[in-house]
Amino acid sequence: MNEFEWHRQLRDLRQPQLPPRDLWPSIDAALHRADAANAVAAPRRRRRHLLVAAGLAASALLVVGMAWQLRPTPHARPVVRSDAAAPAWKPSDPRLAGAAVEFTAARMELQQALQQAPDSPALRRLLLRTRQQQAQWQGRARDAG
Amino acid sequence: MSPAPIDAIDTDDVHAAAAGDRHAFERLYRLHIGRIYGAVHRLAGYDHARAEDLTQEAFVRAWQKLPGFRHESAFGTWLYRLAVNVALMDIRARGADPVNMVDDDHLPDPGEAPFCAAERDELQRAIGRLPAGARAVLVLHDIEGWRHEDIGHELGVAVGTSKAQLHRARQLLRHALGERS
Repeated sequence: MNEFEWHRQLRDLRQPQLPPRDLWPSIDAALHRADAANAVAAPRRRRRHLLVAAGLAASALLVVGMAWQLRPTPHARPVVRSDAAAPAWKPSDPRLAGAAVEFTAARMELQQALQQAPDSPALRRLLLRTRQQQAQWQGRARDAG
Repeated sequence: MSPAPIDAIDTDDVHAAAAGDRHAFERLYRLHIGRIYGAVHRLAGYDHARAEDLTQEAFVRAWQKLPGFRHESAFGTWLYRLAVNVALMDIRARGADPVNMVDDDHLPDPGEAPFCAAERDELQRAIGRLPAGARAVLVLHDIEGWRHEDIGHELGVAVGTSKAQLHRARQLLRHALGERS
């Protein structure tokens, strides 16, 4: 067989060929399975995206809040009377002294921030939560004697 | 590798299938199955069972990738390349390096092969009995008409490597058919 015949014979093998059986039913079933798997995976992906978005939003909120609190204030404003009037917590247990200082400082900072943004519900919630946490610690200190 | 004439008439079905129309995809299947199955069958060494599995896998992948099809080539050409890729990946998955597995120890037995011109069935049988890697290069170049540049790109080897492996594959085939080149 010469080279020309050789190549012609090989090229002749390049012909369309149908499979012995119709493959479409198997393919169709496989597509159903693949689509069903995707349908299950999609909500998971959406949930993951929502969590990431929520995390980013929370981070952004934190940064904005910190920037807001750290910005320079040309004139010091008086602390809100209601909280300023609250008696400072002075625990007798020295182990709680540090916590008391932290609570007082946090309340003061939140009060100042509230003066800048008095309508901020987030700041009000934080202040309320700080007071509640301080009250809880005070209660535990009393219970401990 | 030239696009089939049917490429011009399946555009609407391609768009519909990409949007999730299963019936349109079935029409595309019926239009292209001959070309796809033929190529996969040859690369699978004329093994019908494996060729059926690979063809099914190729169409499932095509369905999944179709929304990303950019129409930069004809759909038939895109589908054909995808199917060939599936067949080559199967060769790799079976532990065969598509270009380096040519091994004299696995030469088909030339004992009963004719000395001269091979009949079509004999030729197919001889190709089917070649080592998978040698078969891949020979089928892609000598039967499918791919250029060495395309084979090298698909297999991740240099053009020179593809040429050398083709020469080796032809020797193997001639040996299998009882010729002495």
